[in-house]
Amino acid sequence: MLGLQLAGGPRVRSAETAGPDLPFPLIERFETYGAAEGLPGHKIQCVTRASDGRLWVGTYEGAAVRENGRFHLISTNAGLSHRMVMCLVEDPRRGDLWLGTMRGLNRYSAGRITTYTQTDSGLPNNVIYGLAIMNDSLWVATAAGLGMLELKTGSWKIYDHNNTVMHEPWVYAVKSAGDRLFVGVWGGGILEFEPANGIFKEHRDPDRDMHFDLTPDDGPVSDVTSWIAWDAGILWQSTYFGLSRYDGSRWRTWQEKKSPLPSNFVNFVWARGPVAWVGTDRGLAVTDGSIWANYRTTDQGTGMLEIAAPGRPVENRRMTTALPNNFIHGIWVDDHEAWLATADGLAHAFLAAPRTAGKAGDAKTNPATPSFGRN
Amino acid sequence: MRKLSLILLLALASLVGLTLWVRQTYWGDHRRRMSGQTDLAKVGCLNCHLVSTASLRWSQPRPHHDTPAGLAVSPDGAMLYIALDDRDEIAVADTASRQVLRRWKITGRPWGLALDNLGKRLFVTCREGDRLAVLDTGDGHELASVPTGRGPVAVAFCRTLNGERLVVANSLSDDISVLADSPWRELGRPAAGREPFAVAGSPDGSRAFVANRMVELASVKTSPASELTEIDTLSGRAVRREALASAHLSESVCAVPSRSWMLTPVVKIRNQVPITQAANGWVMSGGLAITDVNTGEMLQMPLDEANDYFADPAGLVVDPAGGRAFIASGGSDVITVVDLERMAAWLAKASPAERREAIYDLALAPEYVVARLPTGRNPRQLALSPEGSTLFVAERLEDDILLLDANQLTVRGRIRLGDGGSDDPIRRGERVFTSSAYTFQHQFSCRSCHPDGHMDGLSYDFDGDGIGDNLLDNRSLLGVAGTEPFKWNGKNPSLDVQCGPRFAKVLMRTEPFPPGPLQDLTTFIKSLPPARSARRGDGKLTTAQARGKAIFFATRTASGKEIPHERRCSTCHRPPLYSVRLPFDVGTQGTSDTTKAFDTPHLLGVGGTAPYLHDGRAQSLEEIWTLYNPDDRHGVTSDMNKIQLNDLVEFLKTL
Repeated sequence: MLGLQLAGGPRVRSAETAGPDLPFPLIERFETYGAAEGLPGHKIQCVTRASDGRLWVGTYEGAAVRENGRFHLISTNAGLSHRMVMCLVEDPRRGDLWLGTMRGLNRYSAGRITTYTQTDSGLPNNVIYGLAIMNDSLWVATAAGLGMLELKTGSWKIYDHNNTVMHEPWVYAVKSAGDRLFVGVWGGGILEFEPANGIFKEHRDPDRDMHFDLTPDDGPVSDVTSWIAWDAGILWQSTYFGLSRYDGSRWRTWQEKKSPLPSNFVNFVWARGPVAWVGTDRGLAVTDGSIWANYRTTDQGTGMLEIAAPGRPVENRRMTTALPNNFIHGIWVDDHEAWLATADGLAHAFLAAPRTAGKAGDAKTNPATPSFGRN
Repeated sequence: MRKLSLILLLALASLVGLTLWVRQTYWGDHRRRMSGQTDLAKVGCLNCHLVSTASLRWSQPRPHHDTPAGLAVSPDGAMLYIALDDRDEIAVADTASRQVLRRWKITGRPWGLALDNLGKRLFVTCREGDRLAVLDTGDGHELASVPTGRGPVAVAFCRTLNGERLVVANSLSDDISVLADSPWRELGRPAAGREPFAVAGSPDGSRAFVANRMVELASVKTSPASELTEIDTLSGRAVRREALASAHLSESVCAVPSRSWMLTPVVKIRNQVPITQAANGWVMSGGLAITDVNTGEMLQMPLDEANDYFADPAGLVVDPAGGRAFIASGGSDVITVVDLERMAAWLAKASPAERREAIYDLALAPEYVVARLPTGRNPRQLALSPEGSTLFVAERLEDDILLLDANQLTVRGRIRLGDGGSDDPIRRGERVFTSSAYTFQHQFSCRSCHPDGHMDGLSYDFDGDGIGDNLLDNRSLLGVAGTEPFKWNGKNPSLDVQCGPRFAKVLMRTEPFPPGPLQDLTTFIKSLPPARSARRGDGKLTTAQARGKAIFFATRTASGKEIPHERRCSTCHRPPLYSVRLPFDVGTQGTSDTTKAFDTPHLLGVGGTAPYLHDGRAQSLEEIWTLYNPDDRHGVTSDMNKIQLNDLVEFLKTL
């Protein structure tokens, strides 16, 4: 599909071999945080860094916020509606942090938590999978539809299978994209919604087959949407049956048997420019759709980086540090670092600067090159 | 002739018989069916018919007065700006001659005022216009009008490293508008507590503090708390939201220049004890909350004395040296002068436990209260001249400004704004409403539980048994005219009875209101219009609100099944008052309730009267049906989906 030349199979790269130019930075090393470092639980669901620099972490045992190098617990004792924190989003206008849990929505405002549940507010359902902010409205992906809270008036609207083209009400993700929203529906593909004029457009897998992408690049790889991401005009869809990309006119799809995608079970995707950071059950993949850098932890606990590029043999590098777990639940990335929520700890990934042509892979002349251990 | 008489006699007998038959059958059946009542003793034609809001006192024209609200003093102390909210005007007075020089028209009920550092621009919050107006103090023309949240009541001007900021407390939308200059626009809209009502900047302008008047919504069994919100003026974000434990009705906040203190007058509330304990001073008292902005420590100090209370603390200012605080007691017509040095000295020597318990010690006030200065009726807002020598007191129900020498604590004179309105029974009634003179030891006024005629969001135990544990939701008085009977059990047929001798015996613990003041009081209460609703400015309903209206008036469920008449929303909550003023059993009897049937509240302004149900158990409109209507006795709602319930709620908020 991508025209990758994988003939000869993967091989371990020598230090002298020039690597491909990379459109994204590689990870230099990982640091891991768990209960010993003050996190309330080892199973991390989501992570985000707020505009004030504070790192917010959602776990199965409550939320934590990292300030001055220390994690502070925010639990049900502090007013959180449920311990299992599923998603986080910051309201940049107010500085509030919204937390979606398995039982209710929470607004963290300057240390005070206000909860919203399906019984005391217009929230469609207590099980919250995703959150997005669009101007002065909060969008909530729930197990019974998409909710919208107008932050200035407190009014709620609900969009579900009763009043939209939504195939079913089980909404897994919502993402703000300029003047529109993309809504990931569990078995219903993606809805593109323009709130200004109330228009819904449905993006479904044309072949309607959940497991197999019978006709690649004809639409979403599957209707089963586990997460979506959007940046720079590009939409990414993660599914349990592969990965999709939509640039506004064309779709591209990837599945593990036909591409370097490490697993069809894609749990999460983060978009940064034209690059996707893809969380799977077999590690982390970073790709612009052409070049892939896949990170995983081997059975022996060693960190391994696999670089796949068109026209080049797959290159494997051993890393000095490793992901704490290959099951990636959540990702947050900027130019310098990535934070990875995994099934067994939080990983802090330090990024190197992207390599440029002519210097790629030259560790001696390019101090920014990752200092990987190599076979 | 005899034949004709016989025919007439038979016709008359038939008519009487028909009338009796109709009365016995159709008439009784009609009343039973249409009212949903089984006991028809209280059901009359006028419960449903010939009800009009046009005849109610609050919808009729009333006199307007020169009632002073917010005050601002020019940097040179020469001019005093006075918001006249009832006139839609700003008065400009010369402080030396004590004469009003000019009046500027401004729409939207001007309330809070602030000046820039040079005194060139006057910032005015327009409470009903949902905007902030910027006026040129040279000629009063409006330089800018900036939309804010709903019900802006207070504004503070702050200078930051990144330009000027205005911090506006939006009392109805429970948030804060932070405005940035060039041109003025909303930089941020952080959330506040419930009913943000006062705002003050820190001396360096980097922070603003917002006092919130009402307690947060919480279970009626928990101790209530209001909030002090701290704003970073540069970013426009909230950085701290501290709870003022068991305290509410804060209407002012002020920094102490020489210390890291923010002062907030509060009413210390103990609403869960039986109301009979008013006799022991256990129900409410006035205090001063001190927040150390550096350490976050919060203390509360009493302003009342063991046998004499100073109800409804409102305005607060501190002199430029930080030596004295002046607090207006709106209910007792007194300015309390606090020596902050003496208060600090007491705090310095007190143990942590003594500091924590200080608010309960009503013998403490003489340690730092150095004067109680009498004023005219209902002193509310205060302002100090820049050098701190003159204290300006807005005597709200006198239509004037009292000038006090802040050093000598003597009267300098008054700025007359109007005639005081003594000919107006509504004005006289408001004086009764806001006065603590009628309660035991002047502990509180009607306004202490009904600020501005509304409600305080609390539940109280009004049972005379003194046992407690039977809390009843405090209902708003806004729009209450024509909705008799009163009380949750519907036993008081009129406001005269409601506010009469029994009320005095149970609650006020004094002699009842004399007949004249009682009549004025009820006239005032009847003049209070309903609370502002969420209806759009053009009066039209949104699509969701229109769908909700159809649900409210529905006679069939979504599945087409007829809704029994007594379980339709509009049967009990019939327009135009949205109440037929009859008691109904909606399945909410609690373990301490002696009755199943409760008075049907009107729904005008219902969106702003949380909590709900007779004991305040429902913290939101949604909870009435999601948690407390399991048997569909409070309307048939169990077949509704969430979209329909949301639509219904959206419609109710427009009433």
